[in-house]
This record gives sequence, C-alpha cells and structure tokens, in this order.
Amino acid sequence: MVSDQLICTLNASYEQFQLSANFTVREGELACLIGPSGCGKSTTLQLIAGLLPLEEGTITLGGIDLSKLEVHQRQIAMVFQAYALFPHMDVGQNIAYPLKLRKVARSEQQERVDQLLKLVSLSGYEKRRVDELSGGEQQRIALARALASDPQLLLLDEPLSALDAKLRKHLREEIRRIHDETGITTIYVTHDQEEALSIADRIIVMRDGQVVQSGTPEEIYHAPASLFVATFIGEGNTIDTNAVENDPENDSVLFFRPEQVTAHRGDSSFEREFLPHYLFDDAFLESCEFQGGRYRLRARWKEWNISCYSDHRPKGRRVTLSVRKKDTLIFPRTNE
Amino acid sequence: MRKIRIPQKRGFYYMLALPALLVLLLFFVLPLLITLSAAFTDGRGAFSLATIIKTFTNPYTLRIMRFTLVQAALSTLASVIIALPGAYLLSSYSFRFKRLILALTAVPFVIPSILVVLGFVIFFGNNGFLNLFLMRIFGFSEPPLKILYSFGAIILAHTFYNFPIIMNLVASYAMHLDTTLEAASYTLGASKVRTFFSVTLPRLVPAIVSAATLVFLFCFSSFAIILVLGGGPKYTTMEVEIYRQARMMGNTAAAAALSLFSILVTGLLLVAYNKSQRRLAQGELYRDEQRAQNRKPASLVGRLLALLYTFITLLFVLAPIISVVVRSALSPAGFSLKWYRQLLALELAGSHMGSALPALLNSLVIATVVAIVATSLGTGLSASIARRTRSKTLLEWLGMLSMTVSSVIIGLGYFLISSQFRVGQSLSYLLVVIAHLVIAIPFTLRAILPAYRKIPLSYAHSARTLGSSAPKAFFSVELPLLKSAMASAAIFAFALSMGEFNATLTLSSATIVTLPIVMYRLIGSYNYQGACALGTILIIVSALVFLVTARPKGTRHGI
Repeated sequence: MVSDQLICTLNASYEQFQLSANFTVREGELACLIGPSGCGKSTTLQLIAGLLPLEEGTITLGGIDLSKLEVHQRQIAMVFQAYALFPHMDVGQNIAYPLKLRKVARSEQQERVDQLLKLVSLSGYEKRRVDELSGGEQQRIALARALASDPQLLLLDEPLSALDAKLRKHLREEIRRIHDETGITTIYVTHDQEEALSIADRIIVMRDGQVVQSGTPEEIYHAPASLFVATFIGEGNTIDTNAVENDPENDSVLFFRPEQVTAHRGDSSFEREFLPHYLFDDAFLESCEFQGGRYRLRARWKEWNISCYSDHRPKGRRVTLSVRKKDTLIFPRTNE
Repeated sequence: MRKIRIPQKRGFYYMLALPALLVLLLFFVLPLLITLSAAFTDGRGAFSLATIIKTFTNPYTLRIMRFTLVQAALSTLASVIIALPGAYLLSSYSFRFKRLILALTAVPFVIPSILVVLGFVIFFGNNGFLNLFLMRIFGFSEPPLKILYSFGAIILAHTFYNFPIIMNLVASYAMHLDTTLEAASYTLGASKVRTFFSVTLPRLVPAIVSAATLVFLFCFSSFAIILVLGGGPKYTTMEVEIYRQARMMGNTAAAAALSLFSILVTGLLLVAYNKSQRRLAQGELYRDEQRAQNRKPASLVGRLLALLYTFITLLFVLAPIISVVVRSALSPAGFSLKWYRQLLALELAGSHMGSALPALLNSLVIATVVAIVATSLGTGLSASIARRTRSKTLLEWLGMLSMTVSSVIIGLGYFLISSQFRVGQSLSYLLVVIAHLVIAIPFTLRAILPAYRKIPLSYAHSARTLGSSAPKAFFSVELPLLKSAMASAAIFAFALSMGEFNATLTLSSATIVTLPIVMYRLIGSYNYQGACALGTILIIVSALVFLVTARPKGTRHGI
C-alpha cells in the first residue's frame, strides 16, 4: 500500500542547525522520532503540521504533497506537550470543537464525544472544566480531541514528558492501545528511548537535524548504524578495539550490551567459554546493585568501565567478565 | 499539616506603619468624614436627609448623573473599539515601529490631565495645527474640524487619552499568553480568523473587561477635560458639578451630597477592577517571556493595520504633545522664546503669565516635598504590610483607600476645613502639600510593596543574629534593596504632584499658584502660547517619569 505512506523530505535551516530529514512511515504505523534535545524532532513535527514554514522539500501523504497547504487544511492532528486544551470550554466542548468546525450535527457530535471519551477511558467527563483535570487526564482529552478531527496523520509531541514515571508507563500503553484501535498513522516524538523501544513499530533516530537511522526497535537495538545510535538507545559498553585485539593500528571501537556480558563465578565450577570471546579478567568491581531479579555490576577493566548483569553477588572485589565476539559490534571511532 | 503560628517579634515593623496611618487617618479619613457629614445636615447643623433627598430628586442632578455615566460609557466603548485591532496587531505581529507604538501606549499613564486638555486644544482646536494643516492642504477658508467645546470633544479627548491604555494592557496580557492553543486550533482544522474568534478572543475578554473598567473609572472622574472642553452647563459631569456647587455656588451641602454618589460609583468600579485583576492573575498558563513574534504581517490586512495604527497612535498620542512644545515657541511674529522669557520673569508679563515663575517654583517645591514624604510613608507602610502577621490586608486596603475617592472630593474636604478658619497663604500651601500626599500614597505603596515582598525575611533575621537591632537591620539591609523601587515611587509622586490639578483647584483660593493652576488660567484667558510654555515644562517632567517607569513591564497587567 505504497500510496498511503507518509514520505517526508524536509529541508529547513535554523540558527542551531540545518534540518535535513528524510524518512518514510508506513500507513498505520506508530513511528517514534527520537533523539537528544535540540536535534530537531519537535521542529520536524511542526514542519509536518505546517506550523513552521518549510524552505525546501515535500510532505507526501497518500500521494498528495501537503507542503503547500495551510495548517488547517492538512488534516493532521497534533497533541502538544502542554496539552493545549481550551480553558474557556469544558471537556465536551473541547472535544467537539473540530466536529463543530466540520459542521457535524449536534446529536452526532454528542455521540462521537461519548465514543472518544470511552476510547480514552474517561467516560462521563464531558462537563468537567479543564482546570479540574489532572495531567494524565488532560493528556487523554487532548488525544480525544485530536482524534475527533478524524486526521490522516496524528502527531504527538512529547506527550508524556510532563508526567511522573509511573503515569508515563501506564499512559504509553494506553496510547499504544488507542493507536491499535484506531489504526491512524502516528508519529510520536520523545527523548525517552525506553518509551520508544516499548511502543513503536518504527524508530527514527535524529541527530543535529539529520535522520541517522530508521528501523524497527529490534533493528535499532541490535543493529545500530553508528556508535551514536548504539549508545543513545539502551545501555552499552564501549572499549577501544586495540585494547582487546593486539593491533595498535586498529582505531575502532568495540560495542556490546550489558546483558550480553557473562560474569564468571569465582570458583572452579566455571564453564569454559567455547565460542570466540573477549576476556576481561581481574576487573575491579566498583559497585553491585541488587535489582530484585538480578544484580547489576559495574566493573573497571584497565581504563574501561563495563556494566553487566549477574545472577549472583560476586565475592570479593575482583571479577572476571567475558563477552562473545559475535555479540559485539565494531564501529569506527567518531569525534563525539 | 496545620501551620503552627509562632508569635514573631515584629514590633518594629508594626511601628513603621504608624506615620502613614496617622497621615491617612488625620488627613484623609477625617476630612472625608467631615465632608460627607455636610451632606447629612440641614442649614442649621442638625442631622437631616433633606439635602440628599433634595439633591437626588432634582432633575438637574439626575441629568448630570446620567450625562456622567453616558459620556463615560461612550468614551470607554470608543476606546475599546479603537484599541482592539491595535492590541491584536501588537500581540500578533512584529513590524517596524512596534517598539515605538508600544512605548507610546504607555504615555497616557503618566500624562497629567491638564496637559491632555492643552494638547487637545492646541492640536484639534479651531486654530489648532490639525485644522491649519488641513486648510493648507485642501485650501479651505474655514477650519473644517470644529470640534472643541462640544460633546464630541469630550468623547474624543477621552478616547485619545484612554485607547492607548487599553491597547497597552490588553496587548501586554495577550503577548504573554501561550500560543500553543492557537496552534492546536489550527491543527484541528480552524482557519486563522476562526481561531481568533473561538480561541483567542474569549481568552482576552477578562483583560479587555479589566482595562475597560479602569478606563470607565478615568472617564467617570474626569475633571479638567470636562471643565475646559465641555464648555458649559450642558456638558457637566459629577466632578465638575461638585466643584461648581462648592466653589461657585457656595452650596457645600449639595456638593457633599453629590460626593456620596461619586464615591459610591468610584468605589464600586475599583472593587470591580481589583476583582478583574485577580481573575486575570489566576487565569491561565502565563509565560514570563514574551512569545516570539517573528511574523511579519504577510497579508494585506495585517500590513494595513500596522500602517493605520502607527499613524493613529502617532496622531493621537504624540501630535498633541509635540504641538504644545511647538506652540510654546510661537508668537504672532513667528519663532520666539518670549513666553519662556516671561516665564522665567526675564521680561515683564501680563497678569497670569506674571505668576508663572512663582507657580513653577511652588510646584517644584511642593512636588519635591511630596515625593520625599510620600515615598517615606509608602516605604514604612509597605514594610509593615509585608512583615505583619495580622491585619495586613486591612492595612493595605487602608493605604489604597484614597484612590477610591476622586481628587476633587479630597480637595473639597480641605476646602471645607480651610473655609472654617482663617487660613493664611502658607497654611494654604501646606494643605496643597497634604492633599497631594494623600493622593500619592497609594501609588508609592503600589510601587514599593511588590518590591518589598520580594525581600526574604531571612535577610533581616541574619542581620539580627549577627548583632544588629531591628531598625538597623531594616535600614542597612532591607532599605538598600528597595532603592530602585523607591526611586520609581519618588519620581512618580513628583510627577503626580507637579501635574495635580483637580484637588488643587478645588481647595485653593485665588492667591495660590501652582503650574497646572496657572496653565488653566492662561487657557481660560486664551493665552495659549504661555500655557504651552508651562506645558512644555510639565512634558519634560512627564517624560522623565515615562523613561524611568515605562521600562519593559515585569508586572503582568500594566500598572
């Protein structure tokens, strides 16, 4: 269904950076736009919505270039970080606002409002005033209102960053569920990579105004395209390659995830590692945190920090760690 | 958790309020009570409601009441209508003269009413610059705009004076509103126009109502403008009638009765205004930085608006002021500094002009005294209000009380008292000083109290633990931090006193001369040039205040 894809080629220049973002989102996908602060992800959303002028480029949705259209003509709904609910209207009027614009009949408006409130699990809230709502409730009403406009594309600009951790976890699942029920193509901006990994169908990583990688969460996590993506998503360990391979000419960096490291038991029941591996022996154990189901170890080997997990608390302050070569990635050194 | 009230040792702070309290009680509350009591007595001094009944059943009185309210309402309406597109322009776009326009909208806050009147006459009068200009351009033989001394003149002068106020208050409020709501509205499918009416305007209504209430108050209590531009008994308002009854008809009882009505209305308006301000404060998401207004008006409408409002503001705000300055150097023979020479008594002058120099000196001395005393009293009062644990709102309310009464009525009180005794000239001047003081205290309080509230109590406490007494801590630690607020208050009080006309005219005898009084007399004797020379001095003083106080507003809602 190529024709219903969203294809963006965006070029715009700003004081801080040059924005040059090209990416594609398939119909019905929930794509997460992720990157460090100031990388241009919110700017990208605003460009797509038309709230910022696009210098050069196209925004093609369903085969039509939207870049020439005014904001209110694009049928792209957006949920803002600060929710942006209209304070002089109650919840029902807020949600009905796009319906009124589209001259939907009163009775149908009421029905639709009820439907949407049910979808976001806030039935019965029609008459509430905006200032009576909690952050999480405002968020969901903003989402309901956006959905009321029956958009082709839904943009969410860091919708959960103003909420506390527990609520964030709960609401991101809600957002995923609502997305699945409505099937609307969605772009979700966040700086929280854990959020992105857990709910996205596709992750688009941005840096300094450029898209550096686009793929499924698994692809991004297991096959990052660069050291930046590798260290940005999830946790990782980096070691100069020439420290483990005796090759002083080698200027690359070794990267591997903590869960791929094995912490050896200090006793003789150690099982030899048969596959090719790197051994970090006699590392100094800096800390050991009990996390309930396992221990998280931070060790120092030569001048490198390695973090990993273990099912046991190591005795003494020295540990031996190893990682299979096939679980490591090699990246050229970049100037960070 | 219940807050445990620890009795504080705040004796010193409680005492700081005493001087101000004394002044206010003795020189405001007392005269006011005396004045109002005159309304409740009959000719022989016994309690009677006859005067009140007689006054308020008199059709003449009722006509005046009606006129006062009608002119205030129309002026407010006109001001709002002219101000709104301008406020929209200022808050939504950035354009070349934006800073200038914004700055100019703050001018009416500092300009004395007698100057407004003068500027109006000089610019819009039959022989004023506007008419001369139009006659020159279009070749008329008669001045085309004959607006002075009419109902239209009153409304026009009020509008000229007040629409920038509304523009300023509404635009500053609008500029701090979060724009995300408009963005959300666009993404939901609403056009710019639709968004303005459904989303922006409803949010602005509280600010508009608040500003309009303030303007209505100004127009209701307007005195100098009515006195000069009204031109007769047909266009008299409450305040002018109070003055007339007291000073010209000698009917103090009637004047007092009318004062009751005036105080009632101004009191209600101030309560309404304060309420509206508090509503604004509780309002919505308020951003401290101004939202980036980088949009140049791309549409024709936007550009036209920008041009129109640049022109209108310049015309209405700046032109009359400039005319005054220009006219002051004009004599029938052309450019001449004759009036300044007469002013400075370097040259012999006619009767009114002859009293110009003494008037200027008097005004300067009075203003200086008022500035110093009002600031001191205001500081003491602020300190006491900020540091008290009990009855702080009562005190604050008391400090602001004199604002609820128009200056004419304040002057009336002193007139009544001074007419009971033989009051010599120096005592008369003292009364002027006290009247100005009473009027100025709420303004100094308004300037200093917020600044004082920002000073944490811990400063004084550390000073105390380090060994200084309470007064020493106050003077050495807290007062220095108030320097700029006190300077602002002093300058404002100075300008207030220099330009004060209503109370001074009402209470003074023919021998008292201050700058605005002489200006008024010069206008009355058609010596406009002389009046302009004096006016120019007032403009300089106002400009000073303007530069110092009209900096980018840190406060939300204007004044």
